[in-house]
Order: sequence, then C-alpha cells, then structure tokens
Amino acid sequence: MKAAAFDYLRASSVDEAVEALAAHEDAKVLAGGQSLVPLLNLRLARPSVIVDINHLDLGYVRRDNGHLAIGALTRQRVAETSSLIQTEAPLLAEALQHIGHVTIRNRGTIGGSIAHADPAAELPAVALALDASFVVHGTRGSRVIAAADFFRGPLTTALDPDELLVEVRVPVWPGACAVEELTRRHGDFALVAVFVAIAVDPDGTCQGARIAVSGAGPVPVRARAAEAALIGRTLSALVISEAAQQVPAATEPSSDIHAPAEYRREMSAVLARRAITRAIGGAR
Amino acid sequence: MTEGNGLIGARVPRQEDIRLLTGRARFVDDVELPGMLEAAVLRSPVAHARIVNVDVSAAAKLPGVYAVVTGADVKAVVKTPQPVIWRIIPDMFIPDGYPLAVGKVRYLGQGIVAVAAKDRATAEDAFELIDVEYEELPAISSLQDALAEDAPRLYDEWPSNVIGRTTIPKGDVTAAFAEADVVLTESFRFARQMGTPLETRGSVATWDPFTDRLDVWLGTQSPNLARELFGEVLGLSADKVRVRTPDLGGGFGNKFDFYGEEIVAAILSRKTGKPVKLLEDRAESFVANAHSREQKIDVELAAKNDGTITGIRGTVYGVLGGELSTIGIGPCWTAAALMTGPYDIQNIELNVVCVATNKSPYGSYRGYGLPKANFVQEHLVEQLARRLGMDAHAVRRKNFIPPEAFPYTSAIFTFDSGRYAECLDLCLKTVEQAGWAELREEARAAGKAVGIGYSFHNELTAFGPSRIVNLAGLQHSGFDEEVVRIDSTGHVTVYTGQSAIGQGIHTALAQVAAHSLGVPLEHVTVISGDTDTCPYTGYGTGASRAAAVGGAAVLGAATRLKAKVLRIAGHILEVSPDDLAVEDGRVYVKGVPDRSVSMAEIGDAAYRRIKLPEDESPTLEEREVFDPTNVATSFGCTAVLAEVDRETGVVRLLGYLIAHDCGTVINPLIVDGQLHGGAAQAVGGALYEELVYDGDGQIRTTTFMDYLIPTASEIPPFGIEHMATPAEHIPGGFKGMGEAGVIGGGAAVAHAIEDALHEYGVDISSLPITPPRLLAAIREGSQ
Repeated sequence: MKAAAFDYLRASSVDEAVEALAAHEDAKVLAGGQSLVPLLNLRLARPSVIVDINHLDLGYVRRDNGHLAIGALTRQRVAETSSLIQTEAPLLAEALQHIGHVTIRNRGTIGGSIAHADPAAELPAVALALDASFVVHGTRGSRVIAAADFFRGPLTTALDPDELLVEVRVPVWPGACAVEELTRRHGDFALVAVFVAIAVDPDGTCQGARIAVSGAGPVPVRARAAEAALIGRTLSALVISEAAQQVPAATEPSSDIHAPAEYRREMSAVLARRAITRAIGGAR
Repeated sequence: MTEGNGLIGARVPRQEDIRLLTGRARFVDDVELPGMLEAAVLRSPVAHARIVNVDVSAAAKLPGVYAVVTGADVKAVVKTPQPVIWRIIPDMFIPDGYPLAVGKVRYLGQGIVAVAAKDRATAEDAFELIDVEYEELPAISSLQDALAEDAPRLYDEWPSNVIGRTTIPKGDVTAAFAEADVVLTESFRFARQMGTPLETRGSVATWDPFTDRLDVWLGTQSPNLARELFGEVLGLSADKVRVRTPDLGGGFGNKFDFYGEEIVAAILSRKTGKPVKLLEDRAESFVANAHSREQKIDVELAAKNDGTITGIRGTVYGVLGGELSTIGIGPCWTAAALMTGPYDIQNIELNVVCVATNKSPYGSYRGYGLPKANFVQEHLVEQLARRLGMDAHAVRRKNFIPPEAFPYTSAIFTFDSGRYAECLDLCLKTVEQAGWAELREEARAAGKAVGIGYSFHNELTAFGPSRIVNLAGLQHSGFDEEVVRIDSTGHVTVYTGQSAIGQGIHTALAQVAAHSLGVPLEHVTVISGDTDTCPYTGYGTGASRAAAVGGAAVLGAATRLKAKVLRIAGHILEVSPDDLAVEDGRVYVKGVPDRSVSMAEIGDAAYRRIKLPEDESPTLEEREVFDPTNVATSFGCTAVLAEVDRETGVVRLLGYLIAHDCGTVINPLIVDGQLHGGAAQAVGGALYEELVYDGDGQIRTTTFMDYLIPTASEIPPFGIEHMATPAEHIPGGFKGMGEAGVIGGGAAVAHAIEDALHEYGVDISSLPITPPRLLAAIREGSQ
C-alpha cells in the first residue's frame, strides 16, 4: 500500500505547527511516525497535510520542581536510557523497555505515544499511574491537562484539533515500582499490562500505591480500590493478593482475536499481584 | 559415498551468504526496466457476492494510468482457466477460476480489477475511482457452516460445498476394529496458517510486441512449470516464454503455486506495450498468498493391549477456499496418505473430504499436510500409551516400521529405508546429555510447570518418480536435469533448473560437483533461475527434492565429465586414464604426483589449443537427467523443553533438539539451517499463527500485529544431531529434508506442554495453543 497524496509542512516553530493544525482540520502531526506512517500507507489515515515537528526543540529531559519535564519529541530510547528517568521515575524507565523493539523506540517519541492514546500502550498508563500532566500549546495559548482528564477513548484525547502536546510532566516517584505485561510475543502490544508504584515506609507500612492497567478498556485505568487496599497496610502476601483481586473490577476490557475480555480481566489480577510483589522486592 | 575430495559432507559456509548478508542480492522489486509501469490489484472487500457491475471509466482517465483490466477483460484473452495441476481425485469438481473474479466473488481479497500506472501510488489512487457494485451473498466462513444442510453454496453448478471426496484404503479396517482391545477416538482442529516469506510475491512481465515473446521476472520456486503454465493460459508455445527468477526472499511453498497475478501482469504488459511490475504488498499477502493448514481430522485408532496399533480410520476435512489453487487439494490428501507416518499400521481407511468456503485459496506451504498427519499420529501414540499405562516411547518402538521391513509400502507410498529406533535412541541420548530431566526436576521442585515432549516423524522427499506422479493425476513430472561444464580455464559451471530460495542450493550443488570432479569448491559456479539457459526440472524446487534429485543429477553429470577429463589428461600425459587421479584441480599419475596436468590445461586443450584423443570431441560438458525410481524418506525425532505459566497459560520454549537422518548429508551447516527454519515455523504453527475469519468471511488478521509469527525472542536454542541412512536408489545416497523441521515441531511442543501440566491431564488436540485456550484447558483439567 502507498499513502494517498498529502501536503507536507516542516514546522520551524511550535506556533507554526499549531497554526497549520488550526488551518487544516484533518492535518496530522508527524513525530516518530511509528503509528502514523503505517496508517498512512494503509490509507486508514488520509490527512491533507502532514505537519512534521521533528525539527522543533522538544527533545529534552530535565528535573523541574518536583517533577521531570520531558519534551514531547524525546525519543523513547533516549528516555529509557536517561539516568534522570531511571532514578526519578523508574516506573517510566521500565515501562519504556516494553514498547515494541529498540528500533521502534529509536524513532518513537514520548509525546507521540501519549497523543496517539492507544489503550494498550504503556506510556498513557504510566502517565496515569504517576499523575503526570501534559503541557499543550494551541493557537489560543497553552494549558496543562492532567493525565486523568486526557484520555477520552481509543485513540481519542482531550487535545483540541489545533493543539500540540509539547511537554510531559511526571512527578518524581523514585520508589518501588514494577511493570507486568502479558503479551503474545516480545514487543507486542500487551493483552493486558499492570503498572505499579509503591511507597513503603521503614517499618513496612505502605504509604502510597499507584496501580494502572492498560489493555483493559477504552482508556488506561487506575485501580483505586486496589490501591486503597494496600495503603496503610503491611504488605503481606495475603494483603497483596487481596488487593490484586480488586483490580479486575476497575477494568472494562473487550474481546478481540488475541484474547477474550474475561481473560484480560482475570489476568489483570494475576499481573497486579506479581507487579506489587516484585515492586517491593519479593519473588514473583 | 562416492569417491571424491570430501566436499560432500563438509560443513562449508554458503556461497550465497555474502551477497545476501551484505544487501547485494537482487529481488523482484529490484528489477527496474526502461519504461516500466507498476500495477496493483483492486481486491474484493466482501467474501461472497455477485458482481453486478464494474465501472472503471473514471479510473482509466486518471492521469498516469495506462491500462485497466477487469475479470471479463482477462477472461476474454486467456485460453484456459487458472491451471489446477494436482488432479488426484478424478471425479472432483474443479471449478473454473480466472486471474480476476468473473461474475462472482468467492473470497475476501479476490482480485476484481487491475490497474497499470506510472507508479503504485497512482494505481491505488485509481482504485478510488472504480465503482464495483456487489450483490452480497451469505458467506461461508467455517467448515460447519459449509457442511450445514441448508448451507448457501459457493458454486451454483455443484450440489454442495463438498467438491471432492476420496478414500485411502489398506487392509481390512473393519476386522481390525472388531478385534481391537482398545479403540481411541479423537478429533483434531488445525487453524488456517500460511508461509510468510520476507519477500512477498511479485513479477515483472515484458511482452515484446514485435517478437510476441513474454519475458517474466518472477519470484517462483518453479520457473519451468511457470513457463508452461504461462504458455497454456496465454496460448504461447514454451519458446515464446522466458521465466527468470532473481534472488528469492523465501519460498515456503507459497511461491511454488502459480497465481492469477502473474497472468494479469503479462496481460497488462501486452496491453500497454511496456514492462509491468506487479508486487503483492504485505497487507495483500494475507489474502492473496496461498493459505494452508486448515483441517479438521476425526480419527479412530485400533490397538491391542500390548500397544500394537492394528488400524486407523477416519476423515480429513480439508477446509478449502473459494477457488482452487494450483495444487488443488494436495496437502489435504497427503495428510491422509501419510497419516500412519513411521508406524507399521496394516489396516487403514481414511477419507478425504474437500470443502469449499469463502476464504482464500488453500495452497502449498512447507510440510504440505505432514505437520497435521504427524500431530495426529503422535497424539494417538501418546494417548494410547496413557490408556495402556505404557511409556510412549515403548509404544513408538512397538509400532515403528523395523529396518528390515524396508522397502515398506504404506497405504500409498513406498518408504525406502529407515532406522527409526536408532534415531529415537539418538534423540533420547541427546536429551540426556543436555540434562533436561534434571532441569525439569529442579524447575518442578521450585514450583514451575516444566515438561519435555517428543515426536517422531518421517518425511517424503526427493519428489518424483515422473511416471508414478503422472499416474496419480499430477500434471507435472518429477525428474531433474543438470548440466555441468568445465570451461577453457578449467573452472566449473553447474546449470540447474532448481531455484535458490534461500536454502543454499547453489552451495550444495557446487559441493557435489567439486567433490565429484576433484576441484576446489571455489572453482565452481552455480547458475539458476532462467528457463532460457538453465535445464529443466519437473515440479520445481519444493517437496524437499532439490538437493536429493538435483544432487544426484549433478553427481551423474560430473562423474561422466570426470571420465572425459581423465581421457584427455591421459592423452596429454601419455598414460592410461585408469592410472590417473584428480586432486585439488590437478590430474596426476598415481604414484608419480610430479607427472600431472592442471584442470586449466585440460580446459585449454578441450576448447582452444585442441589436444584431444582422435575420437574425442571438443568442449567439456555433460548433461544428466535423473528420475528417481522412488521417493526417499527422511526421518527425525524432535524433543522440546517447555515451561508453562499455570496462571496465564503462557508457554515459553526452553530447548529444542532434533535427531535427524536425511541419508548422505551434503552440507551439515545447510541441513541444520533448514531444520532451524522449519522448526521456527513449527513453533509459529504450534503457538502463534492463526488466520482468523469472522462469521461474515471478513479476515481479521492482515498485519503482523495480528498474524503472529515467532520472532527471535520466541525461538528457543536449537540442537541438531545427524545420522545417515543413505538412499540406495539415489546416486550419492541423498535424501531431502527441506520440510523436516516443520513436520515434527507441533506435536513435540504440545507434548512438552502436556508433560509440564501432567497433573491437570491437559489434552491438546488443536493448534495453535494460545494462552487463553491453554488456561481454559488447565482449568478444565483441574476440575
């Protein structure tokens, strides 16, 4: 398959990019191209204009006031190998390893994956788990959208057509974390995946817990009941197991050719138990 | 083993590799001809429909479009429907199929219109201007639907969707079941799968308007056959058709079959007067490439209490597509014909029922029915062992065809030779040396579900003999012709009709020639892939035949050529040829190595400064035609170590060992590679691959995100052990093995999983084994 004809604009500033987006309702943003280009070639996406943002200065990772500021154009592989991310947001670093393969991560961007909002993708779920927020820029100026408010449905976000995601702000969470994914093959989109961040105080009491699930509904979800079942408790195997049992209720998976919904729902509990256990240093 | 320099059997690197690995190979898409157009095929978005109207007028006017053809246009110029050359059931209904749909669409993805344009994107733009009016009909997307009493029919002119039936009989199966101590009844399901060569199919056709000659670059495993089929369909004599094959990025059987697109490209070239390139892209490949594997097999096994299998009966349902491929029902028939595998089962009654559905045509894929046959026979052996409380290997040994029983006539084929029990022993010894039993115990002690599974298979190779093949209703031969030439500089060129599809056939044939002539390997060049300059092979490169029959023919030609070399050398050195020997490209007097003449001097004497015996003709070239008197049966035992995650149903393969015998091995490195590649496809077939259709005949798997082939991460480390039982009826003793790896893998993987989950009594009778399905089986077992 070959893409239908389109116009190409290489944006030299964020303003120029968002002006182009405002001028062409069906414009598409080209970042890493890992999802867009196949959609173009299959003619499933038929934008009149491609706005290439690869030359904008949006590739950076820096610490800023209790959070990490990650430029939307930061390549996934760069983020994965960033020592700042590894120490300040290890959940993100671990999750990045699960995205496709290295060659894909070399091109794929942090912002691209979040703006694409595939419900089985890792980065939206990590953002949700860590209460990240997104700086977006449009023709009417900038605004900040919380991850919890950003994902509206499969491939659908709170971004207005003229808005560009420019920065991801991830609150620092250097504590215990783990990602458990169930995939058919290494590098595939997860059938279901669980992202866990845990804070345990020195006497073993759980002070904080974040559990997000991807691949289990139209958008990634937080398993708040399960989180509540951990907080304030000593994390014994029984406590963990009981908390994990609360995860499926938070999900609304659908069936597809790879797995029935019920399987995904059940597996979210298994993965949650394993992730929590591994996060706090226990065996699988 | 013949006399020679030891190159037969040498683990030498492949001559092909440096080109392939450095990106210097040239594939069909690399063929660029002056004035060339690119074509594309508009495919049906519905599975079953009457074509009410096709309006291409707007598309034809699009700038950059040179020609548009519909099914009706194509039908008007072809002389015959698409060839179905396997006609193994004489009274089978063989519907007329055309390169593009005529009147009715019978599967999603069937070609409707083809457009030749200045480039592919323009051709695809033109699709959007084509208006096809379909009157949709109910789609048949499962065997059950096809066989239902009131099922819609694919062919109005045929009374049901069952388009062919036959029975493969031997002995007295009724008596065997009446007298049986034990009867097992099993039903097996195999999903639709396909070979997925990295390079999809394609051709570049040039129809010369002045000479009326068709010159085609084609990604095919069967250039000679393709030439004849082009001729049949287009009404051309063979001399008016040239088929050239560039490098092939994998064949896997898919590229044996002769597809409608080849004819479409030729017709578009004739229409435009320009070369036309027509490639199947990846998205199309999931509907346009031959599918395979989908069968339902219901069988009963009769046995005695001591484990002796006395009979097998049942039915193989071949779930065919909406049209027939080149090989018709081939793999469904071979699944039944070879259902007894390596076992001596005297009473057989196996029905083959071929059923049309609204899916893509069912064609060739590596293994060709044998992976299913093997899965069934090995599953039955394991089940019988469980039922009788015997060790499965004891049941195998009890029923193996013993070495002294060869040649052994099974229901259809005669197996030439085999040492099955020894091969099983070799496999068990290899597993023992690998320490798998200890690994399993340690893993189990740690609470993990780890198991070891086995399968034993035999494989029909060296496909021939021509006369038998013809008698069976196959419209192709099975011989092989090879030409070996020594040039004026003493170097050697082998001309072959076999196709290099990545398997290493150039190296293998070069080794046979170099060995037989006594020249260094690097002095031999192999030329393939051109029907104008290369000799003829019946069938093509498939059915695990190239090295065996090609090797035998090269051996014959080279041996005769060597005799001429010795006569000329004897004339130059003034000694009898009997007193001469050849080593490393020099002919010398035995015992007097200083009295010698080089192959270069002999070449010069035969071509330029003629120094020949009186009655000797110039040049150094021999041609050998080899038609085997029988097929050759290779065999092997596969062992798999697997771990199952009991909570998720995820399977991880930890080890994979094959003990294998393909007669005299030409190059162990190549054989290992062939076994590895086949085993990787077996892993895919066992755990990952499934072409899924929904109830409306819509295919749901049209990308590699949905049709899952195993990647390096899913492939376990392989270990291969060889033994050699030469084929006595094939010069050189070679047997084929191109499909071996894929045949035994599915059963061994399934048995490893069953062993890992032994406490649940899991019984795997369908492939692929996916995590949700396995988890369900575990739960069923634990209830």
